[in-house]
Amino acid sequence: MMVSTDPMHQFQISRLLPIQAGGYDLSFTNSALFIAIAVFGIIGFLAFATSNLQTVPGRAQSLAEIWYKFVAGIVHDVNHDDGKPFIPLVFTLFSFILIANLLGMFPYFFTATSHVAVTFTMALFTIGLVVVIGVWKNGFKFLKIFTPSGVPLYILWFVVIIEIFSFLSRPLSLGMRLFANMLAGHVALKIFAGFIPTLAVGLPVIGVFMGGLLVLPLVVGITALECLVAFLQAYVFAILTCVYLNDALHPGH
Amino acid sequence: MEHETASHASGGGFPPFDQIDTFPAQIFWLVVLLGILYFALSSVLLPKLSKAIEDRDDTISANVSEAAAASGRADAAVKELEARVAEARARGRETAARAKSESDARVATESARADAALEARLSSAERRISDLRTAAMSNVSAIAEDAAAAMVEKLAGVAPAPAAVRQSVARVLAASSTEN
Repeated sequence: MMVSTDPMHQFQISRLLPIQAGGYDLSFTNSALFIAIAVFGIIGFLAFATSNLQTVPGRAQSLAEIWYKFVAGIVHDVNHDDGKPFIPLVFTLFSFILIANLLGMFPYFFTATSHVAVTFTMALFTIGLVVVIGVWKNGFKFLKIFTPSGVPLYILWFVVIIEIFSFLSRPLSLGMRLFANMLAGHVALKIFAGFIPTLAVGLPVIGVFMGGLLVLPLVVGITALECLVAFLQAYVFAILTCVYLNDALHPGH
Repeated sequence: MEHETASHASGGGFPPFDQIDTFPAQIFWLVVLLGILYFALSSVLLPKLSKAIEDRDDTISANVSEAAAASGRADAAVKELEARVAEARARGRETAARAKSESDARVATESARADAALEARLSSAERRISDLRTAAMSNVSAIAEDAAAAMVEKLAGVAPAPAAVRQSVARVLAASSTEN
């Protein structure tokens, strides 16, 4: 009973297909499996939806277009017309995070986005891309992101220090936010859900009713909340990616 | 917590952090699979989707402008129809007016002819009346001459000269006719 209600067990990574390459362990794990399910699920759905494009769209095409317009809308709202080349990138990040998060809501499924390796890789990639694009587009002027305009000279040095810290904390917060949300949500869900059998075993008869009538509605509510969080975190990641990219394109604040 | 975590393969306390040995594997597969996703999206799927959306927008705007043109044509047709109706109505009014004036003219000529005929008959009747009257008046003077000659002959026993009788009768007649 204790093992099945252990809230941390769901984050256990297991090697499904051990692979060793160049001294590194590149095994195909359950994390990789669910990333692959998310990726090929997205590709499969969009391939199906775009297989027979019509002027008056069917259901799948409608959904795919809403999805595309949603992401393109985020990019356009933040980056305006400069953001067009980044739509595929933001679409990739948003869709992957959304689907990986939602896949994690299924019992016994693995949540790839609840691991720091995954979220920080994406966050570091995003910030790295911001730096690369910023330097490539603006050269030395990219350093302007550390100097907000209209700040008096005598406190500018201090503001620059704050801005540098703020910039360096971006990948940390971007990766940490997603990972922590998914981890905490799933842990909370598991703990509350595990409370039901614990009650049922610990308090015969009364415990069953308490678990069923009090705890189960709470678990249902948390599940709904987690579905919202799954979407919200993907949305936040996409928006922040756009905002950071906007800094790269227009470093002058 | 001790006996719970004891079941973990790694044996640590916090799986998200204590599985650092799996990081290369996680990151490798994440990069590979997201690379595949990005490539599939950017090269095939998203261009198709955005083209479908643009095509629809184009179709809609083309249809809207076509509809606007059709509406303009319909308006023009309505205007033309109204113009034709007005023209037809004007022509009808003109025809009616012409017919009325023609009939008025005919009525006028007819009535003029009828008036003329009546006038002619009236004047001939008047002429006959005056003829009859002058004839009657000459008969009256002859009778009066005879009667005056007879009265003079009876009273005076002398037959008056016919010329004197005619003269005095004419004078009396003229006096009586002026008295009348």
